[in-house]
Amino acid sequence: MNAVQAKAGPLLQVTDLAKTFGATHRLVPKGFSVRAVDGVSFSLNEGETLGLVGETGSGKSTLGRLVLKLIEPTSGKIEFQGVDVTGWQGKQARSLRARMQMVFQDPFGSLDPRMTVNDLVREPMVVHGYGKDDIEVRLESTLLQVGIDPRMGKRYPHEFSGGQRQRIGIARALVLEPKLLVLDEPVSALDVSIQAQILNLLRDIQRRTGIAYLFIAHDLAVVRHISDRVAVMYLGRIAETAPRQSLYAAPRHPYTKALLSAVPTPDPARERGKRRIPLHGEIGSAAAMPGGCSFHPRCFRARQAATLPGVEVEPWRDTRLPRACMREVPVLPAGVHRAACHFADLVDEGLNEQAPSPSCQANAAVGAV
Amino acid sequence: MTTLMTSSTTKVDPDAAMPATGRFAPMLAHPGLMAGAGILIILVLVAVFAPWLAPHSPTKTDLMATLAPPSLTFPLGTDQFGRDVLSRLIWGARVSLQVALAVVVLSLSIGSLLGALAGYAGGWIERIITIVNDVLLAFPGFLLALAIVAARGSSLQSIVLAVSIAYVPRVAVVMRAVVLTIKPKPFIEASHAIGVSNFRILVKHIIPNATPPVIVVATVSAATAILAEAGLSFLGLGVQPPTPTWGNIISDGQTSIVEHPLISISAGLCIAATVIALNLMGDGLRDTLDPQMRRQTGLKAL
Amino acid sequence: MQSQSPYALEIRNLRTVFPGPAGPLPIVDDVSLAVRPGEMLAVVGESGSGKSMTFMSALGLIAAPGRVESGTVRVGGVDLVGLAPEALRACRGSMISMIFQDPLSGLNPVFTVGDQIVEVLRAHRRISRRQAREKAVELLERVQIPDPRRRLDDYPHQFSGGMRQRVLTAMAIAHEPQVLIADEPTTALDVTVQAQVLDLIDTLRRETGMAVVLITHDLGIVARHADSMTVMYAGRVVEQGSVARVFADPRHPYTRSLLRGIPRIDSPVEGDLMSIRGQPPLPGSVRHGCAFEGRCYLGRGRVDCLRNRPELNIIGDPEHLSACHYAESLHDEEMPA
Repeated sequence: MNAVQAKAGPLLQVTDLAKTFGATHRLVPKGFSVRAVDGVSFSLNEGETLGLVGETGSGKSTLGRLVLKLIEPTSGKIEFQGVDVTGWQGKQARSLRARMQMVFQDPFGSLDPRMTVNDLVREPMVVHGYGKDDIEVRLESTLLQVGIDPRMGKRYPHEFSGGQRQRIGIARALVLEPKLLVLDEPVSALDVSIQAQILNLLRDIQRRTGIAYLFIAHDLAVVRHISDRVAVMYLGRIAETAPRQSLYAAPRHPYTKALLSAVPTPDPARERGKRRIPLHGEIGSAAAMPGGCSFHPRCFRARQAATLPGVEVEPWRDTRLPRACMREVPVLPAGVHRAACHFADLVDEGLNEQAPSPSCQANAAVGAV
Repeated sequence: MTTLMTSSTTKVDPDAAMPATGRFAPMLAHPGLMAGAGILIILVLVAVFAPWLAPHSPTKTDLMATLAPPSLTFPLGTDQFGRDVLSRLIWGARVSLQVALAVVVLSLSIGSLLGALAGYAGGWIERIITIVNDVLLAFPGFLLALAIVAARGSSLQSIVLAVSIAYVPRVAVVMRAVVLTIKPKPFIEASHAIGVSNFRILVKHIIPNATPPVIVVATVSAATAILAEAGLSFLGLGVQPPTPTWGNIISDGQTSIVEHPLISISAGLCIAATVIALNLMGDGLRDTLDPQMRRQTGLKAL
Repeated sequence: MQSQSPYALEIRNLRTVFPGPAGPLPIVDDVSLAVRPGEMLAVVGESGSGKSMTFMSALGLIAAPGRVESGTVRVGGVDLVGLAPEALRACRGSMISMIFQDPLSGLNPVFTVGDQIVEVLRAHRRISRRQAREKAVELLERVQIPDPRRRLDDYPHQFSGGMRQRVLTAMAIAHEPQVLIADEPTTALDVTVQAQVLDLIDTLRRETGMAVVLITHDLGIVARHADSMTVMYAGRVVEQGSVARVFADPRHPYTRSLLRGIPRIDSPVEGDLMSIRGQPPLPGSVRHGCAFEGRCYLGRGRVDCLRNRPELNIIGDPEHLSACHYAESLHDEEMPA
């Protein structure tokens, strides 16, 4: 954990951000539009890493691009360093780039194959008007910082391995010394042994520069390793957000529980004994979202809650589910560990989940609300 | 400033990576490119040094020696006006190559710009350019050139203008299609993320990456230009006599083709050689202009 | 043609080469492994490890200029190496079949799913279209696709990623092969769907006694589903054994480094992950000595590591093999923090 300077307000504050793709014109029926991001709010402090986890259709990549203003939001507010930048366009928006940058998933596709490494890392500085000598000095120091030998600068991307190309991408993002780095699946295209190198490098850079990360990934273990706080997304909304230890040790949202249960751990003894949480059906499509809580068609807790006394239910397919789950969108309550679930405090029976390891529990006790 | 060798970062060993290749090395190794370039260089030299290379004047007639067979004085014989065929061929190269060069330069520059603009900007700009393009493309190239020459009168400029106008849309269409494939690539999005302006993205990222296929189209257009000029001259609408062009040499030789086929055939071979050379060069350039050397081993599949 | 061997698939000393600037490059370098009926063998490795190439070679799917130079691949008593193309084609799909990583490109987008399954069925058996269609419905049921009769007439794009992988699995098991090779079948899928697809393969394995080879880089999947495992590096086998054994007591520095280098959700996060310096070698580039020497935490420059290629030796348990000169004496203390 980093010692974060107490500053007035968070570095990044996102409020009710939404993005709908497809025609939103009145004449076009609603079915054509895709609500990729559907009312997301979160904040990110300086020097902190927020992990954004989700599967296909969760909207996490779209959210990353919205924050960076690569895509225009349909509604909502983005505040960066205390300033409302939601409406910024053109040249103004480009000036923001010096302070927030992005690292992409595809280490090869994200580098122009016709430019040398030197040109690639110089470009941000050239575009933002840095002086020639300044450029050369920063070029060399940034390449060194990411572990690329500056003597290799005249070579082309295809002459490097995947891990090296990703380092080059990171160098290019860091050269303007941004305050915020959005990383969209930065290690998923890399070999396992290289992933560790890059994750260590990212942590190292954060320690030295105090940069904040918005780390987007689908791999729960990777996110856990690098994040201070984690937000789990499902179909465009945040299902749960918490400090790292308490999310993994004591998840409260049924989707998070199911997700964690589905991830296999490299421990044969543990895995063979583990009973997994069933998830009914497949991930819904963001184009045809269920009403109310978007998770209700697959939720084991909803099915359990429907049997409790005093809960209003409605029939659904071949079973019954609580009316709240089917009609009302759950909101993230206030607090540190928050789950958007109508039955967030319900104890899930009959799951026989593996008890977390003792050291995990100790950490959780310290960090949880 | 920062330590390089920590246990967590990895220093890249400059010796371990693949050897850096020189800019021109792959080109020198490409047989097609070298062959095509070689033929073209010879042709250009012939055209440039025509006054010194040609044994006789191309326009001097000698009515005593009409339709002479090949001999030491006249290596390819003479035509029906007693002019030396070889000299005419040599001088004819000038016209053909001028036309080819002019057409390539014009169609490549204007066509690329229009196509790139259409592909990148989208919206109404794209629609307008595409509509104009489609209208021009609907005309068979040669007919369009014919119409323009007929309207403007025959001259070298007319031919160049006509063939260029016919070819600009063809280049633009290819360029637009290629730009559309490049636009969604991650490195374009990365450039936006860095804060690069649209203009700079178009000029520094999109166009350089779009050039290889367009180069192939350009060489084909050069070849077509030569053929178009030859066709127009053959029809008598091109460059007027007595200036020799390969096209009107074929035309002149038409009447005596049975007894003296060499006249037309030799001009035809010149055209063929040039066109083949241009095509070879085009393919070769497309293959080698990519910084990535495409090797033919199955290792690529791994 | 009864097989005497206890193994459903037995690969011995397989060697596949590609031509290189300085002689043939071994992409698969003397690989031996075996799977018993009903068992799942996980083949673990990174890029350039040769894990996919080994099985492409086994099925005769290596395109020229690459070729299988030597070795045997026995399935049901038949050696696939050296079989005539027609005979090999007959074996593929009926005795041994393969599913690949990207379910979208494995299916032809312009034909219905039903058409494609029927095509596979009729490729090896003389049955009528109607019979094949019935069998196709059965197969879709077996891979747990709901409403199979109606879905037969849907196109691949109408299925989700996980469903498509099930369809491909259905096609692969259509002729009840003795061996199923699954090459990274779940890498492109979400983790919740991944679990479903792998559970399905487990179920099929138990029902039919089919042997399964799971090629993967994910050690978590290996721990959960596989019985035995083979770790490959630079075209060679570096460690082999039962999953329980190898995880509990890895006897090769590469395996140890891998296990220490992956982020986990079950153990506390302390400091940096252990990373392996350098990068995996280009396929076929290792000639002398140990392939892992340049990246090994035991230290560079050891003479026997540089000169002599380590043999696969038995460590304790007769099924546990490791190719390291120092396999017996590896200790945790030597590993960097």
